[in-house]
Amino acid sequence: MVSVQDRPSPASVAVSVRGLTKRYGDVVACSNVDLDLRRGEIHGVLGENGAGKSTLMKVLIGLVQPDSGTLTVDDARVRIDSPARAGALGIGMVHQHFSLVDELRVWENVVLGERERLDARHARGLVESIGEHYGLGVDPDARVGDLTAGMRQRVEIIKCLRRDPSIVIFDEPTSVLTPQESEQLFGVLRLAVERENKAVALVSHKLDEIRQATDTVTILRRGAVVEDGPTARFDQQSLAQAMIGRAVSLRGDDAAALGATDIVVTEATAASGPVTAPTVLAVENAVFDRYGHRVLDGLDLDVRAGEIVGIAGVEGNGQVELADVLSSLVTLDAGTVIVDGVVVPTGRAGAMGTAGVGMIPEDRHDAGCVLDMSVAENLALASVGVGSWLRRVDRAKNEADALRLIDEYEIRCSGPDAPFHSLSGGNQQRVVLARELSADPKVLVAAQPTRGLDVGAIEFMGEQLRAAAARGVGVLLISSELEEILHLADRILVLHAGRIVGEMNRTDADVERIGLLMGGVTTDTTTTEGEADA
Amino acid sequence: MRDLRNRPGLLTGRLSTKDSSLTFALYALSLLGALVISGALVAATGGSAPDVLSALLDGSVRSPGAWGLTLTTAAPLLLVAIGTIVATRAGLVNIGQEGQVLIGAAFAAYAAVRLGGPGWVVVTGALLFGAVGGGAWAGIAAGLRAWRNVPEVLTTLLLTFIAFPLVTFGLSQAALIADRDTTRQNQLNTGEIIPGTALLPDVHLFGNAIDSGFLVAIGLSAVLAYLISRTLLGTRVDMLGYNPRAAQRFGVAAGPLSAAVLIGSGATAGVAGAVLLTGGAAGDRLVFGFSGNFGWDGLLVALLARNRILVALPVALIFAMLRTGSSFLAATGVDRKVTEVVQALLVLALLIPPAVLFIRDRRRALRSSNQKTPATAPEAT
Amino acid sequence: MFEALGTLVSSEALYISAFQFSVLFAFAGCGEWVAERAGTLNISIEGMLIGGAFGAVVGHQMTSSAIAGLLVGAFFGFLIGWFQANLSHRLTANQFVVGLALNVLVLGLTAFLDSSIGFDPARAEVIEVPVLVDIPLVGTALFGRPWPAYLIYPLVPLLWWAVFRTRWGLEVRSVGENPQAADVSGIHVNARRRQAIYITGVSAGIGGAFLVLGQVGSFQAGMVNGRGFIALAAVIFGGWTLRGTVIGCVLFGFVEAATISIPANGYSIDPFILEAAPYVVALTVVLAFATRVRQPRALAQPFIRGLT
Repeated sequence: MVSVQDRPSPASVAVSVRGLTKRYGDVVACSNVDLDLRRGEIHGVLGENGAGKSTLMKVLIGLVQPDSGTLTVDDARVRIDSPARAGALGIGMVHQHFSLVDELRVWENVVLGERERLDARHARGLVESIGEHYGLGVDPDARVGDLTAGMRQRVEIIKCLRRDPSIVIFDEPTSVLTPQESEQLFGVLRLAVERENKAVALVSHKLDEIRQATDTVTILRRGAVVEDGPTARFDQQSLAQAMIGRAVSLRGDDAAALGATDIVVTEATAASGPVTAPTVLAVENAVFDRYGHRVLDGLDLDVRAGEIVGIAGVEGNGQVELADVLSSLVTLDAGTVIVDGVVVPTGRAGAMGTAGVGMIPEDRHDAGCVLDMSVAENLALASVGVGSWLRRVDRAKNEADALRLIDEYEIRCSGPDAPFHSLSGGNQQRVVLARELSADPKVLVAAQPTRGLDVGAIEFMGEQLRAAAARGVGVLLISSELEEILHLADRILVLHAGRIVGEMNRTDADVERIGLLMGGVTTDTTTTEGEADA
Repeated sequence: MRDLRNRPGLLTGRLSTKDSSLTFALYALSLLGALVISGALVAATGGSAPDVLSALLDGSVRSPGAWGLTLTTAAPLLLVAIGTIVATRAGLVNIGQEGQVLIGAAFAAYAAVRLGGPGWVVVTGALLFGAVGGGAWAGIAAGLRAWRNVPEVLTTLLLTFIAFPLVTFGLSQAALIADRDTTRQNQLNTGEIIPGTALLPDVHLFGNAIDSGFLVAIGLSAVLAYLISRTLLGTRVDMLGYNPRAAQRFGVAAGPLSAAVLIGSGATAGVAGAVLLTGGAAGDRLVFGFSGNFGWDGLLVALLARNRILVALPVALIFAMLRTGSSFLAATGVDRKVTEVVQALLVLALLIPPAVLFIRDRRRALRSSNQKTPATAPEAT
Repeated sequence: MFEALGTLVSSEALYISAFQFSVLFAFAGCGEWVAERAGTLNISIEGMLIGGAFGAVVGHQMTSSAIAGLLVGAFFGFLIGWFQANLSHRLTANQFVVGLALNVLVLGLTAFLDSSIGFDPARAEVIEVPVLVDIPLVGTALFGRPWPAYLIYPLVPLLWWAVFRTRWGLEVRSVGENPQAADVSGIHVNARRRQAIYITGVSAGIGGAFLVLGQVGSFQAGMVNGRGFIALAAVIFGGWTLRGTVIGCVLFGFVEAATISIPANGYSIDPFILEAAPYVVALTVVLAFATRVRQPRALAQPFIRGLT
């Protein structure tokens, strides 16, 4: 399907990749990939997680060396062996996370990683002029840690554009943005392409984003290019089919995973969770300050037995702290948590787990597992904190339990004694899921449960959450993937700045209104018009 | 934006079990390197390395009664090490053992002189007092950590430097542990002679007198080894060391457990001080500088044993051999301080193999998983 | 009581020895501050001081020149920093273990070499700044010192400039706060951390050399006696700011000086209290300031790419 039919004059090709292959051990991350990024064009790179798109982009910015293949930048064969080399060639990347230092000021972050002499006044001026040029205004002297997620991304973009790259790569840029902010971002991309004649690559796994914002698209599956061409040639259906490799109805789990929201919302699955079911989790007026910032600000929510409640919201609005509270990791400054009618003290070690709160954490390596212990030990973590310290560890029982769960949840590992860190990400997640579900929780909290998983694992996770709800567990789904929430949740709460700012049932969910709420626009008055095109 | 992260336990980096020959070779090379450097040092200062080795062996095992003395000397080292190991496994950095040993010895001295009754009561009392003293001294660090989150790595150190003048002060006060026998000369800053009834009995074996403090150390090691490997306490300690946030979530509160472990490690160091005193290996009374680096050396034993209690025993024996052997060095013309150098070099040398293996494993893991790796690959043409 | 205090604060000797100790602490503390800003809690600072002191007598012995003594001292400090840096930030060994082993090694090695070889006394000349040295009470303390003491005056602003006004300093601060972000931005995290420790080594090495050349006049095993750890406490006291660190060093300098001046002025306080005082004050100060300020986020945490 790699075609050269409708390619414009070669002069406009900024970067050309030919026959790129990269292996990690037995895994082929990229196999014989061809890609052309042209000036004046937004090029979408679509693929599910693990399809090889980040490896491809890392090759372009010099973080990964290919095993074979050629790179051409502006018609010259090149070898990109470091990010610095990529920068010299005019290739820049806007990272999705982790490239800003909170404690430094905006201008310091913007010039971090460069070589020339430090010049504060010049750097401030640059921040201001780039901000003005692209409509990305931000105070150069602000501490980055004080900024909102949207503003932080502005800093990331300025940091990238500051080197005036002619080729800009955006890696999954919308996960920290509201739908409205995403629109705005695409506006900036368009500006860069039209006004500056830059070549822009937009890496994404979301179909609607690719269709909305790109001119050309390359679709990767299992490390290989399966389709490419002008975006207009594809519809939602054909994009999805190319990406997954089989026909999909766009009505099931796949659709949510792929971000085809418009179709999913109209789907009317008979939801469980009758209104009369007892409340199993109630958080009342939760207040929590971290580093002097109020991150939970009077948060109220309740979850009834058998329903899935989705918390929608842009990352960094209190999701992490809410999950931390429900993991007994932090103590609330004010407010109460009630599980199954009983007030549970926050911040007391193990109290939430004992009270019946299961947790599938956002970052399982954070508090969800002990990497240096075995699979069996990780499956039995919940029993460690219970009972006298002199009690013998019942290894035989742990092993038997582990064998059963390994079988039941199809965990691929060499056995109960396998070190946890030797498992793949998907199987580590299954261990967490097996442990949390086998404890018969009353409430199951799933925080960004599908992040980093492939489509198969996402489906499995969705099934498990549904099955848990069907058994009468109250499920709280915290996700920044609006599609995931629209697909799975019976009831949707919108989280902004540490409080719930809106609530609606799935049946009357309205993407635009949710988007506005996520951005902090309180909207009881502005709802009516957006409903039709949802 | 997290307060805490998975913190890799002190020196508990995973070892590759696959390439045991490589592991062995690395350790052998590192140890050889340390010994070669030590030998070179001896040679450079005009000594003869074979003579030094021979003198060390004479002093530690070959001369009459030597190995009994070596076992006696190993006891406090082992005691300090096992407490340190448990603390380290819990993710704590207690490096104030020297002070804890000294305070433990001071408490034991008080008990040994003041407690009346049959010998076994006095000896047991002295050991318990030692544990209380060492535990209390570490308890200050534990309290500061719990109260204001003051890093124990600094407080335990500073407390060591307070312990020395504090014990000196005690040695000047008749109401505390100063020698009350005013007829003796030079009684300033010395403690009372420990009465014979308060001394740990010796076990006589093949003409060697082994202090029963060694049995105390072996017994405590066995108990701790059992607790760590078989009981919930051990799992909790390891969990706290590996991932304190997971520990908190699953009901292992870091505050009380780390305080208990820190106090416990101070208590074993205190027992070491008591054994040092009532075992008679370091003189018949408490004097200034009594702890004689047993705390520091015990800490090094723990580090060399890579946090395994059972490995600590042979390491403690080697360190004890260096100590007892060093008294025979005078004849070779080499200063006995050379053994301190050898010990530190051994510790530094043994840091290298696990680090090299860890880096290699990680490189491999990175290469086989779908992450970035600084691999170099030739471009295809 | 007040009379005693009056005698004390009007004693020139107090200011002289306070300044001497402050300078010693400042060489160590300000150097340590750089390492900590880059994310290393560098406990081999003690060994660096010992190494610097030993280097001073070695250099002096070889050339009979105090300048050579100072240079060799700085080099020995650097050498210890090199081991600390490369073992902990290249071979990823635990930084506390490395620091501890280095302290023991340096203590043992210098004592061994000192007793095996034997060194002559080594002193640096006193240089008096004209006019200023005649200021009553503090003139001699500030302006009539052995010349190595004056190096602290340019060193402190130099370190400040390096950390806050250069690109290198920006990178050092970023690796101490968020090594992952620094790495993604193209900064060699562990290289910066190693370089910061080299600076600590040189600075503390000069400090150790000053202890010999400007204060004691000879090398003695155990002469540092935990003062490196007091410098460490000064950094915490200073809330990881350079100004605070310097203030902490001066504070501890006065405490140390008082332990000498009080008996010298004929007041009898139990020597136990005097000897323990600096450490007790350090402990109290650490306690008081530990939670008030924010330490570098990545302090004492190793950076290994791919390991969160």
